[in-house]
Amino acid sequence: MSGTNPVVRVDGVSRWFGSVVAVSDVSFEIGPGITGLLGPNGAGKTTLLRMMTGLADVSDGSVTLFGQPVRDNPALYGRLGVMSEHETVYSFMRGRDFVRMMARIRGVPDLDRAVEKAIAQVDLTEAADKRMGTYSRGMRQRMRLAATIVHDPDVLILDEPLNGADPRQRVHFQNLLRRLAGDGRTIIISSHILEEVEQLAETVLLIINGKLAASGGFRAIRAALDKRPYHVRVIATEPRRLAGHIMQLGSVDAVNVDPDGALVVLSNNVRDLQVELPRLAQQASIGLRRVEPLDDSLESVFGYLVER
Amino acid sequence: MGSLFRLTLHQLTGKWRLIIMTVLASLPVVFAWLIVRGTRAPFVDEFEAIVLSTMLAGSIAPLIIVAIGSVAFGNEVEDRTLANLTLSPLPRWQIVLPKVLGTLAVAGPFILGSAFATGFIAFNRDATAVAAVTAGIGVGLLMYTSFFVWLGLVTKQAIGVGLLYIVLWEGFFSGFVEGIRFLSIRQYSLALMNGFDPRRFASEAHVDFTAAVIVAVTVCTVFFVLSTRRLRTMDVP
Repeated sequence: MSGTNPVVRVDGVSRWFGSVVAVSDVSFEIGPGITGLLGPNGAGKTTLLRMMTGLADVSDGSVTLFGQPVRDNPALYGRLGVMSEHETVYSFMRGRDFVRMMARIRGVPDLDRAVEKAIAQVDLTEAADKRMGTYSRGMRQRMRLAATIVHDPDVLILDEPLNGADPRQRVHFQNLLRRLAGDGRTIIISSHILEEVEQLAETVLLIINGKLAASGGFRAIRAALDKRPYHVRVIATEPRRLAGHIMQLGSVDAVNVDPDGALVVLSNNVRDLQVELPRLAQQASIGLRRVEPLDDSLESVFGYLVER
Repeated sequence: MGSLFRLTLHQLTGKWRLIIMTVLASLPVVFAWLIVRGTRAPFVDEFEAIVLSTMLAGSIAPLIIVAIGSVAFGNEVEDRTLANLTLSPLPRWQIVLPKVLGTLAVAGPFILGSAFATGFIAFNRDATAVAAVTAGIGVGLLMYTSFFVWLGLVTKQAIGVGLLYIVLWEGFFSGFVEGIRFLSIRQYSLALMNGFDPRRFASEAHVDFTAAVIVAVTVCTVFFVLSTRRLRTMDVP
């Protein structure tokens, strides 16, 4: 972000609840485009997002949006669209009425046009006159997104927005966010699912234990992840013979044979191993029945990054 | 503000709430009717003490308002929809005002209707007395509303705290402890009734009418400002 004015600036932000530190001295800047806030459950993402929206106060540090403090600054909220992780809606309200109300209290001038456009963008025009209490989880999320974008905000902050969406809705959701970002908006989405962020965000902020563990382009972070020590479980027709061949690979540090005959391979470069292992097995005429990562959970990925 | 007012009305008018309010509001009316129809008509002082002071001003009115006012914001805090409102460019007072007006619009007809009917039966259609009862209770309604709406913003146990306040403070201590009477909404309601109709409520009113008017305005203003301030400074769930 150097050389340009960041849209969002988080500067030395901490938040603690009694003796529990939820967010610790986090600093970053965000500009236009899609930024992913990635971290396991309980990492502090939601607390951080809440401070970025002004819903929660910081214990230390500052958060600014367009250079202005975001906390207790209602005038700024007209430029901000926020979709929290909580999926509660006014169940008695029809979808269209909900979006209309949100547009009205945000002072949208051409109300009817804006409401219809927002609902059409989330592909819910046909269901707009049904009560929100009858919606599926995915529909509720989409109608909430319509209410979030109805006032055409410059900044969108979305906390776990893809929760409850089916695969088709996910694709629609992702395309919509890309389109909105393409118009120059700043979009921040949080997720605990690596692939979700990978598909959407150009820039990633990794939050672990309330700290910023890494930030930057997704490819650079992914490359760093690929180079971490990685355990892979391999089930093959001839495990001991395969173990001998595997040890010759440069991407492998160690191989153990489990009592049940499965191999546990410790790789220093999982991407190379992905390419080399099938080729090696084919050359040696050994059947591969199953290859599975043992520590591919987000928590273990984050654990590695924190320890580096 | 119209949108938030309509939203508030919808949130506060559940079937069970309306039933409970109807039952509560009917109690003083039925009680007054039974007393008047009884074999020994009570002295005016007795009636004012039991039905108007203890029952209507000290119990029924605050009970109805605590059930409505404390959830005006309390429900939105509980179900985490308050952020929908606070993340809008509206000045905070424009969020508080529809909540207060919504509470008044829902609770008001029940309480004022109850006060009017009770006074009408008890004072044998004496227009001045009926107006005094209704106006005194009405001003109490304003004070209780501003207080309980604020309470719904500061604690998730607003109804419990409100009930404790009604039972212990308004119902018990303010009736016996001289100093506390000056901090009781019920006392100011009675003082206002006495001010509007000096022939009545003299034995129950322990506060000067002018002081009651000043305090009523102050209480409403202070709690409205506190609600607005709370909305600005709280962590919205």
